[in-house]
Amino acid sequence: MNRFIANQTPCGLTRREYLWQVGGGFAGLALADLLQAETSSTSPLAAKQGHFPAKAKHCVFLFMNGGPSQVDTFDPKPLLTKHDGQPYTGDAKVGSNGRPIGRLMASPFEFTKHGESGLEISSLYPQLALHADELCVIRSMHADTAAHASGCLQMNTGSIFIGRPSLGSWLSYGLGTSNQNLPGFVVMTDPRGGPIGSASNWSAGYMPAAYQGTLFRGTGSPLLDLATPEGTTDKTQRRSLDLLKSLNEEHLRQRPEESELAARIESYELAFRMQTEATEVVDLSRETASTLEMYGINNPQTADFGRKCLITCRLIERGVRFIQLYSGGGHIEDTWDGHTDCITNHKTHAGETDQPIAALIADLKQRGLWQETLLVWGGEFGRTPTSEGIGKPGRDHDWHGFTMWLAGAGVKGGQAIGATDDLGFAAVENRCHVSDLHATILHLMGLDYTRLTFPHLGLDQRLTGVEERHLVAEALR
Amino acid sequence: MRIAVSVFVVAYLPSIAFGVDYERDIKPLFRQRCAPCHGAVKQEGDLRLDAGALIPKELHAELLQRIASEDESTRMPPEGAALSEQQIALVKAWIDAGAPFPAYEVVPRSPAEHWAFQPIERPAVPKSPHEHPIDAFLFRDGAIPTPASSQALLRRVYLDLVGLPPSLDEQDRFAKHADWQRVVDELLARPEYGERWARHWLDVVRYADTNGYERDAEKPFVWRYRDYVIESLNDDKPYDRFVLEQIAGDELPDATVETRIATGFLRLGHWDDEPADPPTDRYDQLDDIVNTIGGAFLGLTIGCARCHDHKFEPLSTADYYSLVAVFNPLERPRNGRTEEPLTIGATEVYAWREPSAKAPPTHILLRGSATRPGDVVEPAVPVVLVDSQPSFPVPDDKTTRRRLGLALWIADEENPLTARVIVNRVWQQHFGEGLVRTANDFGLMGSPPAHPELLDWLAHWFMHDADWSLKKLHRLILTSDAWRARKTADSTIRYRRLEVEAIRDSMLAVSGTLNSKRFGPAFRPAIPLAAVEANTDKASVWKPSEEPEASRRSVYAFIKRGLVIPMFETLDLADTVSSCPQRQVTTVAPQALTLFNGEFTQKQARALAERLLNEAGDDANLQIELVYRLALCREPTEPERMQVRAFLTDESLEELCRVVLNLNEFVYPE
Repeated sequence: MNRFIANQTPCGLTRREYLWQVGGGFAGLALADLLQAETSSTSPLAAKQGHFPAKAKHCVFLFMNGGPSQVDTFDPKPLLTKHDGQPYTGDAKVGSNGRPIGRLMASPFEFTKHGESGLEISSLYPQLALHADELCVIRSMHADTAAHASGCLQMNTGSIFIGRPSLGSWLSYGLGTSNQNLPGFVVMTDPRGGPIGSASNWSAGYMPAAYQGTLFRGTGSPLLDLATPEGTTDKTQRRSLDLLKSLNEEHLRQRPEESELAARIESYELAFRMQTEATEVVDLSRETASTLEMYGINNPQTADFGRKCLITCRLIERGVRFIQLYSGGGHIEDTWDGHTDCITNHKTHAGETDQPIAALIADLKQRGLWQETLLVWGGEFGRTPTSEGIGKPGRDHDWHGFTMWLAGAGVKGGQAIGATDDLGFAAVENRCHVSDLHATILHLMGLDYTRLTFPHLGLDQRLTGVEERHLVAEALR
Repeated sequence: MRIAVSVFVVAYLPSIAFGVDYERDIKPLFRQRCAPCHGAVKQEGDLRLDAGALIPKELHAELLQRIASEDESTRMPPEGAALSEQQIALVKAWIDAGAPFPAYEVVPRSPAEHWAFQPIERPAVPKSPHEHPIDAFLFRDGAIPTPASSQALLRRVYLDLVGLPPSLDEQDRFAKHADWQRVVDELLARPEYGERWARHWLDVVRYADTNGYERDAEKPFVWRYRDYVIESLNDDKPYDRFVLEQIAGDELPDATVETRIATGFLRLGHWDDEPADPPTDRYDQLDDIVNTIGGAFLGLTIGCARCHDHKFEPLSTADYYSLVAVFNPLERPRNGRTEEPLTIGATEVYAWREPSAKAPPTHILLRGSATRPGDVVEPAVPVVLVDSQPSFPVPDDKTTRRRLGLALWIADEENPLTARVIVNRVWQQHFGEGLVRTANDFGLMGSPPAHPELLDWLAHWFMHDADWSLKKLHRLILTSDAWRARKTADSTIRYRRLEVEAIRDSMLAVSGTLNSKRFGPAFRPAIPLAAVEANTDKASVWKPSEEPEASRRSVYAFIKRGLVIPMFETLDLADTVSSCPQRQVTTVAPQALTLFNGEFTQKQARALAERLLNEAGDDANLQIELVYRLALCREPTEPERMQVRAFLTDESLEELCRVVLNLNEFVYPE
């Protein structure tokens, strides 16, 4: 029978598809012909080598849910200030969903130059500004959609449709994770609720569920079903697991060639270790008072995000690959979605996150993890330089131009890349599509976006879709 | 074995200075960048570059010159980026070395000759001591596989056909009188058979109860489609009729409410009620239908031909848009962002509607772009599959009847794919692995059948002897020695973890709390609070059902695309967005957490412990015996009995039940 051999076209298919379809499961077969030797473990999450040596071993995505305004944060626009209050006469498509278009609205937040680089950052970020020389601001981001649901999906999965694996899933699939006692892809949402689309944003889509994001809570029992059932002592839990193991091993002895049965025995031991280790991660009692202070954990405004940032740091210490933190949850003003009053909104949300993010950077440095950790900051899109309606300080969605930043491992900090037009509506210089950003993140993690593929519906699917993408080369160190 | 050629290349490309390898460097490159136009499917300029033997030596110079050309009008490949300098250097090095290729290299044949596109003929059953045709094909040397124990077989066939373990009475009856044929017949006659096997079909048709995205709204009355599938299977509706009803149930001459409910199949896809780009969104929804039809009924990855001719299958954009034309007359009944059902008589039906018998024109979209319409196409089926196009019926006074035309062709005995594809699905479910391992892809890129003659024999038998009866097919397979064999590393039947539905339902059955209520709106099992907290509307997103509603079979559980029941998701529920040809089986720690610590298991363990007390009294030996028989359908071995007794001296019966429900043997039937 004739067979095409492996190829790496977007619309190609490789013999790996056979392997994936094999009834016995996929363990250890994925990427076998693309990536180098894996461990002998049958776990789908066993650590794997990337395509080339990675700059970053961990990635933290600080997701500013709802869409932060570029002109109020990292993209100063003197002309917008100059024309404050005037009608917008340009031809950029403004606003979403037929919402009223108001007037040009200057940012009330003052921009000043920071660090040796003189990077301009608004007064919303006094603490983060102290790390200006670490930030690589991309001012020319653009996305394909004006809606939160499809926007969050695109930022997380590269596609405006549900059912696609998220960035964290691709990283887990491509690289596995080095600490099997913790999930490799952790998501922490906002106490006000999740992002629109909820779990679709950290779904593994058509990939096995093992690669999906795991929700992690900052207090108590961090994982679903992690805690020993109420009324069961630790001793009983261990004795029960011992009996289970013993009976399962006897069963396996008569079927020694069945690796899935062996893997399942191991998964219970792993779960037991996870109980200990994951619970320990969220126990901050051994952190010093000054650490808690630095993250703002004692201040009600910054306590929640601060706690999450500190836990993030502790997860990285323990080898977790990808962590996503959401700032903002639920709807409208509970997120960065400042339709009514973007000014108050951004003061709130930036106020909650500025100090914790700055502390995370400082702490990663302190713990010697900065050189191996990539930070990504941003939301699903930006906000219009115009107000939403007249006489109301809200801003509508702007997906034609917005800002994100990268920092940490492999990133050239202290610079702004690309530009929006004079008023800040649309990316015009060095435009960076969401998928370009994804390609760049994969690159920094040691993966080639053209070669990281997964067979589905007859295609070798990629995070970045079928089109050719461009790394943000200036961002790379 | 590889043919490696040592060539010394100029120093600026040190990475290839050590030699060029045809298999590693050239063949994949040509397959990837050249074969889409110069391969087995298409031969532009009568040139093929997909196998070394096909590349004429006299073209070598031109080949090099064209790939290196800086003139866009002559450069090859014309689409996408030019080859990199390194790739060009590799080709040059290979040609300089005499363009060697391995003598054993197989030249891909013309796609029209692909096995799955050939008419289904009935091969003779091989001469064999085996009477059963399946065994005769599989064990040509007459070898007889070791049979599984009768207890193991009983549990196996129950879990396979009805997704529940046999009761104590059923075990006793079979122990006294092991009439295999009768057990199979009885199980096939039970309503639980449809509940079990419907879920396999729901995987293939991307079934879910909501549409996904921001509002993730409930699809009104979509559960009637789920019930339709269950009833169709229980009625043993012939598969060809099952196909007709789902694609064109409203256009059939004998259309009923039921056949209209069947067309809900076409409307099961996800859709965004606030699409980023409405014109494109329309084609995305049609694409979902065409893709699902291709994968589910024909085993073809037709969706790849949306933007360009399929690169590796003989399917053109014209083929693709001709299928789009079949469904283009459909309209989603809605009121703004809210979906509406159709009302047929007094029944709300979740289906599309054709508002007019006059079809809108369907264009080929250049590069798949909704803003670049090309030629108009008429409904047609993929050219490679037919000698001449089937005649599509003319519109009647209500609809275009285009779907009826397509459905009649798919359900026709002459169709080379339909029977092969469904027979393979059934085989896969029984044995754990299909004869064709890519159940949704029978094309050139799909996996070739492990036993092509057996597959064809089964497909032909299924249509002509069994009259498309799935129950007859089950009966045939389940009475083979191959299926009844003991599972080993070499057996045809493989160990495979039960699907999450069968795990959950088995727990309910064993604990004695299963609510067997059938049909109707879905129930919502309790889910951990933490799973809800991550939702935008955490207060309202999930209202769990009360008992006993919450203890219904899993096929009736609400599948919300934006919030999949965590236990289901962790244990590898099918992808809810696109057709799932086979469940993944992963083994990861969160599954252990769910099954060992989760509230559902605790509840079942408590109920099971109570049951043991009620039925076996205080005697630990009797309790142990009973729990083994209920959960595993066998007596405990002596070492097992001793270990468990020792455990019970310190720990509770409930604790033992939690352990038993987590045993490998519980979720991996013998």
